[in-house]
Amino acid sequence: MLHRRQFLKLGGATAFATLFGGCDKMQRTLIPFVIPPENTTLGEALWYASVCGQCPAGCGIVVRVSEGRAKKIEGNPRHPVNRGRLCARGQAALQALYHPERLSRPMKLSGTRGSGTYAPISWEEALSLLMVPLKKVQAEAPASLLMLTEPMRGHAGLVAGRFMKAFGSKHRVAWDPFGADAMLSANAAIHGIRDLPEHDLANARYLLSFSGDFLETGISPVHYARAYGRMRGDRETIRGKFVHFGPRLSMTAAAADLFLPCTPGTEGIVALGIAHVMVRDRLTAASAVAGRLADDLSAYPPEAVERLTGVHAHDIAAVAEEFARNQPGIAIPGTGAATGPDGAFHCAGVALLNALAGNAGKPGGVSFPNRALAFARYGSEAALLAPAPESGYAAMRDAIDKMRGGAFRIAILSGATNPAFTLPPSLKFSEALSKVPFIAAFASFLDETTSQADLVLPVPTALEAWGDDLAPVGHSGAVTLCQPVVVPFHDTRSMPDVLIAAAGELGGKPAKALPWGSFKECLDKAYGGPGGQMEIALQRGGFFGESSSQRSGARTGTVAFPKGTERPIDGDPKAFPLALHLYPSVTLYDGRGANLPWLQEMPDPVTTAVWRNWVEVNPKTAAGLGLSEGDGVTVTSPSGKITAHVTFNPGIAPDVAAMPLGQGHTRYGKTANGRGENPFALLPAGETYALQATRVSLTKTKLPTRLVRFAHPEGQWKISNLM
Amino acid sequence: MEIKWAMAIDLDRCTGCGACVVACVAENNIPVVGEAEVEKGRLMQWIRVARYWEGEYPEAQAVYLPVPCMQCERAPCETVCPVYATYHNEDGLNAMVYNRCVGTRYCANNCPYSVRVFNWFDHVWEKPLDEQLSPDLTTRSRGVMEKCTFCIQRIRRAKETAAEEGREIRDGEAVPACVQTCPPGALLFGNVADPHSEIARKLKDPRRFRLMEHLGTEPRVVYLKRQKGAGR
Repeated sequence: MLHRRQFLKLGGATAFATLFGGCDKMQRTLIPFVIPPENTTLGEALWYASVCGQCPAGCGIVVRVSEGRAKKIEGNPRHPVNRGRLCARGQAALQALYHPERLSRPMKLSGTRGSGTYAPISWEEALSLLMVPLKKVQAEAPASLLMLTEPMRGHAGLVAGRFMKAFGSKHRVAWDPFGADAMLSANAAIHGIRDLPEHDLANARYLLSFSGDFLETGISPVHYARAYGRMRGDRETIRGKFVHFGPRLSMTAAAADLFLPCTPGTEGIVALGIAHVMVRDRLTAASAVAGRLADDLSAYPPEAVERLTGVHAHDIAAVAEEFARNQPGIAIPGTGAATGPDGAFHCAGVALLNALAGNAGKPGGVSFPNRALAFARYGSEAALLAPAPESGYAAMRDAIDKMRGGAFRIAILSGATNPAFTLPPSLKFSEALSKVPFIAAFASFLDETTSQADLVLPVPTALEAWGDDLAPVGHSGAVTLCQPVVVPFHDTRSMPDVLIAAAGELGGKPAKALPWGSFKECLDKAYGGPGGQMEIALQRGGFFGESSSQRSGARTGTVAFPKGTERPIDGDPKAFPLALHLYPSVTLYDGRGANLPWLQEMPDPVTTAVWRNWVEVNPKTAAGLGLSEGDGVTVTSPSGKITAHVTFNPGIAPDVAAMPLGQGHTRYGKTANGRGENPFALLPAGETYALQATRVSLTKTKLPTRLVRFAHPEGQWKISNLM
Repeated sequence: MEIKWAMAIDLDRCTGCGACVVACVAENNIPVVGEAEVEKGRLMQWIRVARYWEGEYPEAQAVYLPVPCMQCERAPCETVCPVYATYHNEDGLNAMVYNRCVGTRYCANNCPYSVRVFNWFDHVWEKPLDEQLSPDLTTRSRGVMEKCTFCIQRIRRAKETAAEEGREIRDGEAVPACVQTCPPGALLFGNVADPHSEIARKLKDPRRFRLMEHLGTEPRVVYLKRQKGAGR
């Protein structure tokens, strides 16, 4: 295996071994094939295993590399999360790697701040530009360093966390617009564990989804889509039944046997109605839990629930009975339920059904595999490597206040979550950020956030970097390894590498906290390095099968009855008649995929629209407003106003307008810019982070653009023949 | 062993996610045409996920129907090509010789499934996006018709590996990119001539149907209807 090691060393060397030195010599020996490297045969492709970096699900990938260039990404068949499968977004990572607008070298601001005009500089100059203020701040006021990233996992998180601690600043903020805050606190209340559950769909007989988006976005779409397929078709005599409650017929809802529309923001009440029937009719397996909750649940008889949610009482009773009689069954909350102003209540109501059904810890039920176990040797630092997937909204608001107050002298930005795009504009993130005297951004692309930086440091994409990862669900305790599958295409250095080098320069505590020469060395030390276990793990993609994968039965003794806080959503129903339902785009996720042409041109599953965003309304609602398919409208909320094109969704509640997130970029390159407006702009800046937080009105507006949909070149076939 | 490739599409498993579409684009060097060209019906994707609405609120339903080339046994596109650019190959696939194509578009006109796409332009891959292009197949030039090939390059690769090792090709060894990636496992591919293959078993399912069977095109893509109810 010596040859492989040499190749990897060679590949990694440009970014890692010679951080402050020139790396030209290394490249010169690698690129021309006069004496080809041992592992490269012209015309023969090789497959390398790594981790997908396109969303936080952490799927394992294998990349086909031909003559040093990545050609195709497929799922890693050995990986416990996705078993060889991969979604559209994951496969499009190739376009990020070879994107024409990718940042190829360090740049410093040459125009005014925010103008987006930069001058290329060398890495030596870039690092000295970073080190001068860092040294000054460390000596004078170390707490005025802010690090604002996407959630980081594995040793990259350890490096960042240790760096900030040793530097003397506790202002490390991780922002994720689809963070699972509500689900975490719901699980803490119901199951006594503040973590994400693992839903074993494959072995379930009955699946209840509450605005679930587990097949399209959610926490781990490929993992759950594969399990869903198995639930439907892999057992000889059982086909799991799937019932979906929610305000909109989404891609996931379309897969359901029964779609029962409910008023937006009432998912938890429907769940409690079902729980009421289960307890009333003595249908629960967990009778101890049921006995304790009987009083609280008496407030949710199906008739009362019908009035609040619009779901018929007989439907609730029928579903409750089916759910109870077809165990194991699972109730799963989705982004739509979790991101309402009262998300924790809705998620807790749903989790309560799992507790009542007594399926926790059983096959076909929910379980809570111990994620921190994989990193238990780090003790209290394990949380840096396997953090709970929170949005970080509270910390973000706090950071914005402090930025505005001038508390920070340096901001280090990193990651794809792009707060200037994904936060409600009324928080005035960009304005607050501009108060920070020095901003350095680690990035692959200029976007709304990074284009405000003074110094831009280009990073390798997930296909060119070292790293390790632990997926939020479906990991079975397995740590996945991330390796450069191609020689870095540009002159990039990863953030952990730069932090390690910077710590070395700073000396003292930071140097002691990060005692490695490079990030690769840090990983080598952690995983046995070349010649050890790590080498085999790199070939397979990670440490699969060696770690424990036993289910930890969730504790249900501490069940706290979910209490609604009755936080109303923004906007007077008279002036703003429609509830706004925002959902992550199947293709663009939170907007990070908007600069990739493959994703822009992939028709949306529900609307078949391409290249632009839209607002979905019920055809009858549209008729009442005098709107027809494709018309331009102004969508107005109490907090903002944007334009979009109308498209019909016959399965959306009549009092709802739904919009996908992800479009509406202004500074994310020519593929992303000018494709409609950003729906995040309609959101109020509430106490808690909520996407389903406002009502809107629609008024017809003439737009210069058209919504293009790719529908039925074959003409109309008869659907009754398909079912 | 005789080979008869076939694909099964289980509509009970399909979620409409579109992973197959991007897998195909990545595997087969399919160009991106942009919004204006899509509007003219010139999207180049070889597989589409058609979406059908049924019923009205609150009983509305959507059904997804992935449509690749049906690889018809009696293909209407083959008989109308004046230059024999589209032909039937030894495995029963409906193949294209790009170099022969003169762009009459008769084949697309005669295809009842509308799965053929035409190169109205010489498409360009802005540098360095062209680094991704697969070396296994060409990019097609202006005036040439193209369509799904069941990833013939992947089938050939599997055949070559099998031949090198002096054995028959194994079930599941050759799969098109869309089948390989399908997250819920709705797509299945294999040799129906092999009675022990998974697809041969799958095609005995009473839910099976073919698109526009009455036309007598004998498609090699077989659909399995969506199921209703909990049990089997």
